[in-house]
Formats: sequence, C-alpha cells, structure tokens
Amino acid sequence: MARINPEFSDELKKYGAFDLNACYNCGNCTAVCTLSDEENSFPRKMVRYSVLGLDGDLEASLDPWLCYYCGECSTTCPREADPGELMMSLRRWLTARYDWTGLSGLLYKSLPASIFAFLLLVVAVIWFAAKQQFDVASIMHYGHFFEMAAITLVFALILLPNIIHMWWLTIYKPGIKAPLSAYFKSLEDLIVHMFTQKRALGCDDNQFRWFEHFILVLGYLLLLFTTVFLNWFETTNLFVIILGYVESAIIFVVTFDFVRRRIQKDQAISKHSHPSDWFFVIWLFLMGLTAFTVRLFIDVDLLETNLWIYLVHLIILVQWALIIVPFGKWTHFLYRSFAMYFHRVIELKG
Amino acid sequence: MQQENRKLNFDVLVVGGGIAGGESALNLANLGYKVLLVEKELSIGGKMILLSKVFPTLDCAACITTPKVSEIARHPNITIFTGAEAKNITKKGEHQFEAVVLKKPRYVVVEDCTGCQLCEEACPVSVTDEYQYGLAGRKAAFIPFSIASPRAAAIDIENCILCGACERACPTNCIDFTQTEEEVLVKIKSVVVATGFNLFDPLKIPRYNYGKAKNIITSMQMERQLAPTRPYNTILRPGDGKMPDNIAYVLCTGSRDKSIGNPICSQICCMYSIKQAQLLMGALPMADVTIYYLHIRAFGKGFNEFYAQAQDMGVEFVKGKVGKITEKENGNLMLRYEDIEAGVVKEAEHDMVVLSVGVLPNMEISESFKTEKLALDPFNFVNQSDVLASPAKTSIEGVFVAGTASGPMDIPDSILSGGAASAETTSYLRRASL
Repeated sequence: MARINPEFSDELKKYGAFDLNACYNCGNCTAVCTLSDEENSFPRKMVRYSVLGLDGDLEASLDPWLCYYCGECSTTCPREADPGELMMSLRRWLTARYDWTGLSGLLYKSLPASIFAFLLLVVAVIWFAAKQQFDVASIMHYGHFFEMAAITLVFALILLPNIIHMWWLTIYKPGIKAPLSAYFKSLEDLIVHMFTQKRALGCDDNQFRWFEHFILVLGYLLLLFTTVFLNWFETTNLFVIILGYVESAIIFVVTFDFVRRRIQKDQAISKHSHPSDWFFVIWLFLMGLTAFTVRLFIDVDLLETNLWIYLVHLIILVQWALIIVPFGKWTHFLYRSFAMYFHRVIELKG
Repeated sequence: MQQENRKLNFDVLVVGGGIAGGESALNLANLGYKVLLVEKELSIGGKMILLSKVFPTLDCAACITTPKVSEIARHPNITIFTGAEAKNITKKGEHQFEAVVLKKPRYVVVEDCTGCQLCEEACPVSVTDEYQYGLAGRKAAFIPFSIASPRAAAIDIENCILCGACERACPTNCIDFTQTEEEVLVKIKSVVVATGFNLFDPLKIPRYNYGKAKNIITSMQMERQLAPTRPYNTILRPGDGKMPDNIAYVLCTGSRDKSIGNPICSQICCMYSIKQAQLLMGALPMADVTIYYLHIRAFGKGFNEFYAQAQDMGVEFVKGKVGKITEKENGNLMLRYEDIEAGVVKEAEHDMVVLSVGVLPNMEISESFKTEKLALDPFNFVNQSDVLASPAKTSIEGVFVAGTASGPMDIPDSILSGGAASAETTSYLRRASL
C-alpha cells in the first residue's frame, strides 16, 4: 500500500518544479515523447508519483535519467504543467538523494548556501596563495597537484559511493536479481552512453544540440587529460600545447552558446534555469576561457607579471572540482550513463 | 458601394440566424414585435441545420430545424437579411439603437428564384463546397444546400468567371450581376446577439497531421457524412473512398488545452462523438469505433444512459489523450497515446480518424458595437453580466445574448437560452411602452 505525501510537491518545487498539481493525467506528454516506449512510459508516471509523493517509487526509478529533455511534452502540455521541467527537477532531486553527504540537496535547495560555498573557496585559494607569498611557480605546482588529488578523492569518497547508492536504490532495494553476467554484458552500454550520449539523438530535431554537447564532453574530458596527465601548463611539447588550446576553445565556445540559449530562452529546454544550471554552464565557460588565457599568458611570457590570471583560473577550478563536480550538475555525466547501464542490466535480466 | 438611404424601423435586431437567434426571433415575433434577423451565411438555420441527429434522443436535427426555419421565414413580423452583417451598432439612448447592416450582393433576386438548379447545371466552375465542409464540390452558381432557407441560388463571385452561362440558363431571369453591396441603416429598440461559435481548426495542432493525412476528418465533416443531406450517401474515407471499418475519435481536439489557447471544455464533443459512434454502428454494422477520451462528461439529462448505451453497442472507450497521428502508406493512421489505465504508451492503427473539434468564441460581433463596449468574458465569449439572475443580460442595457455566443452549450440549452433572451428582451421593450 502506498502512502500519499502531499508535501512532497513543495519539496520538489525547491528543486525547480512547477505546478505539478495542474496535471489532469491525459498522458499527452508520454504520447508525444519520442524516447518513451512500452517498457518505460514517462513522464506522466513520474508526474503522478510526484503528485502523490511516492518518493520510494521515485528514487527506485531510472526514468528521469532516460529523458533527454527535448521539451516537446512541456510545449504541448494542455495544462501547462511543464512535465519536462519536472523531469529535470527530479534529476536534481535524485542527485541529492544519491549523495550520501547530503550536501547536494543543501546546495540545490539553497542559493545562499551555494554562494557561501563559492565564496569560502575564493577566500581559501587567496589565503593559500598568500601563504605561498604569491609565487607563481609554487602556486602552479600545488595547483597541478590539487587537480590530481581532487580527481582521486572526489571520485573515491563521493562519486563512487554515490553510484553504489544509486545501484542500491534502483536495483538492490526493489529486489531485482540480475546475474553477474548481465553486468558484464551491459558494460558496453555504459561506455557508449558515457562518451556519446547517443540516446539524446532519439529526441526530435536534436542533432545539433547533441553534436554541441558531444564535442563539449569530448573537449572537456580531453582537456582534463591534457592538463592533468600531459601537464599542459608546464609542457614544451608543441602538439600538447595546441591540443590544449583547441580543447579549451571548444569548451568556452560551446558553453557560450549554451549560456546564450538560456538567456534568450528560445527553446523549451532553455526556458527555465535553476541556479545549478547557471553555475554549471558559466563555470564550464570560465574554466575553458581562463585555461586558454593562462596558457596564452605563459606563451607570451606575461604570466610572471600577471599572477592574478592564474589565481582566477585556480579559484574557478577549485570551485568546480569541490562543488560542481561532486555535488552539482556535473554528476549527470555519471548518473545518466549509469542509468543507461542499470537499465540495460534490468532488461537483460528479462 | 451603394449607399441606400432606406431607413428601416424594427423593435429588435437579432444578429445570427442559428437555432438560438431563430428561437429568440420567433418568440418575439409571436408576441407582436417587429424583428430584423441578420444572418452572415446564405441560409438561416446555423450549424444545427447541417447536423445529422441530436443527442441523446437521436432525433433528426433537420426535422427539428427545418419546420422552425420555415416558420421564421414566413412570419409576417420577421424580416430576414441573409448574406448580411450588422456593422455599426450604436446606442442613441434608452430603447434607441441604430445599426448599419451591410448586405453583400447575392447576384440573384431571391424573390424570383424558383430553386430549379438549372444555373448549377450550366455553371462550368467547380469549387469545394463549404456547406459540406470540403467533402464535396459545388458550382460557382449554387444553392447552398438542399434544405437551405431561402432555397435560392447564389453566385460565388470570387470564383465566378463571368461567362454568363447561368444567366442564359435561368428560366426566370433572376440572376442579376449588377447587384452591389448595400448599407442599410436600421433603427431598433433592442438587440439580441446570437452569433454562435467557431469550430476549432485542427491545423493548429500540427502533430495531428490534419490536412496532410487524407483520412483524418473533423467531427463536423463526419456530421455531414451522417446527415440526411450527406454528400456520399454512405460513410467513406476521403483519401480513397474506402468504407472505413476501424474508426477512431480523438476527443478534446482544441478543448481543455492551454497550449493552443483554449483551456475550457466545449461541453458538446463527448456527447456528439458518442452519438456519431452510435450512428456509425448503424451505418457500418461491421465497423469498430474507438473513442479516445480524457474524461467522458455526460452531465445532462439522459446523457449518462446514452453513454452506457454506446458502450453496450460495442463502442470502445480508451482513456488517454492522443499525442501524435501519423499516416501509413496505405492511408491508415497510427495513433500514439498513453493508455492511462495501464500507464503504458501504445500505438493503434485505424483506417479513419475523426477529430472531435471544440467550440471557440466568435468575437467579431464585439467590434460592431461602437458607442458602448460589449464586454467579453475571459474566454472571449459574450460576457453575461448577471448570469444567475438575468442570464441574457450583457454589459450594454438593451443588448441581450442568446445561445453559444455566451459560451459552449448544446442544442437544448441554446434553445433555452434563446427563449431566455427573448423573454428578457420583451421585458425590456415593455418598459419602453409603459
């Protein structure tokens, strides 16, 4: 027997949802959705769960991650209940649910808390730089060290436990018994979806948006690799230098376009922007831009006299690595691909 | 344009000659008032005269309308202008209105026309017939439909090639190409607005593919196929003339839908669709009929029994709004919807789809009132300023509203509303003479 929780919709509104009670259950959203099929009919089911406050069913569901937000359900909704944005809010809510630290939920729900966290890290970086007597070489050395440490620790302490939590909520807890072989067979899906997001191509008229997103992900991952493992800022290898320029340029050009769309609100998907969306695209844009500029300043021998530019980059980087990656929108990179993976596992189980 | 200085005096101007306006005009005329009935179309009778049967009694719509229409047409106290529109309506004082009625030329002297149809035979121009809602063709010289009133020819000057064949064929020489538009100034004491409604145009929902997929029709087109004056004498799908055997109804097409700007229920679509489904079961005994609905609103007297009767006859009811309709190569249609009972998205194939289109306001008349504004309600129907105590009252004293001009309603309610409007008009006019 399900227990109804009418307060749940108020909770969900803090994550960006609108008037879900406007829904009169016509199923138009599910019918127009090109990704919805007989096995996974969404988003109306998710709207219904949300209206009734069935949080147990919601956290066991992978449906929110199967939606790639073309916005068709929202533009054609006869009640203007905005199911597309509800799915987006559910993804934020799930991100908070998977996070064992609880910080995700706090940052999603409270803008002041987010701003405080961002400012705290600004102070921390400047304090650290002051301790190093604003010495470029030493700060850059620690900066590079920080990148490697952050990747390892964030993954080991936050992201990995969260993915295990996600598995526990969506597969173990609902009592789905999948053989180990299903997990192996599905690995291919995990990799493919992680690096291509090809499911997004199933959305109507989505080729260009998919392409932008695709090269953005590629550019981002390669830049991460280039700075961390090829030590872009200190290398003398011309190929690596140019590679880094291209990657960082891709990031800020594509994210500039994403920010422009969110400002112009010309598509259903860019109509509503939660603070977490702004932080994500703007910080990604700034990351690309400042990384590009830092390397440019190195190449024209201006960095020694312009330490501030590296400090700005470092601040952005630290905020990105310690707030947005573990607790913010960055996590959708993992949750979306693991959702596809778990979805396949469940399918294989029969 | 011919500026005629004819000044005509009437007690009441009734704008709109449908069932509500007709009822008002007839009641007022029977009480001795002089009525001018202005109708935009070439025939009075409104939408009802074109319908097949009425719900929930399954009485023949034409058999109710035509005697009423004849009575209106022959009444000594009623003057009818067809093909005319009431333009400037100004209030000069209590019980004093003036209106300019714009009469479009018919190019036929109605009094002399015998309705012999020889002009139709002679006319070489064929165009689609708006009175058959595009299902059949007509000539440029034509009688609007067989039970039209007046049953007289008209020339569709937009499409006429001025060949003169009709003039030569006409035995009474009633065709007159020298007619021009005329403006008639009328003085009246009160006005009844009975301008009816517009049907929703499903082209506004591109994902339904109406207009592209040939075997998707509107409910009004199905109504024509079922009516006694039907174009094909049977039910055919327009794409290839095949007799359909698996028909789908898509309810709430253009009703209760904020995304197309009409958030309210049209009040008639559930019942007329159920009625058509029952009639189809009679016309095509082997056919399956499926009605895709959101909620069946069977709220009137005998409605729920009528709904149950359709279920007993084998009409299939599926809860779920149709999201998309796509055409297959053989002309059949694929409907994508969520089966709400199962919570699963499904696709179904039908060989003909009827879109149960909704009721939209006809706002034009509000622009005709010049001195005082005729207030509209939030949904752009004529506002009933005192809906409980005096339902026909509008924002202008002396102007009353009848029928669907004030909101979606079915035929019995329209007739009731027409009666209410005539009663309130009478009481207003009586005050003038006291």
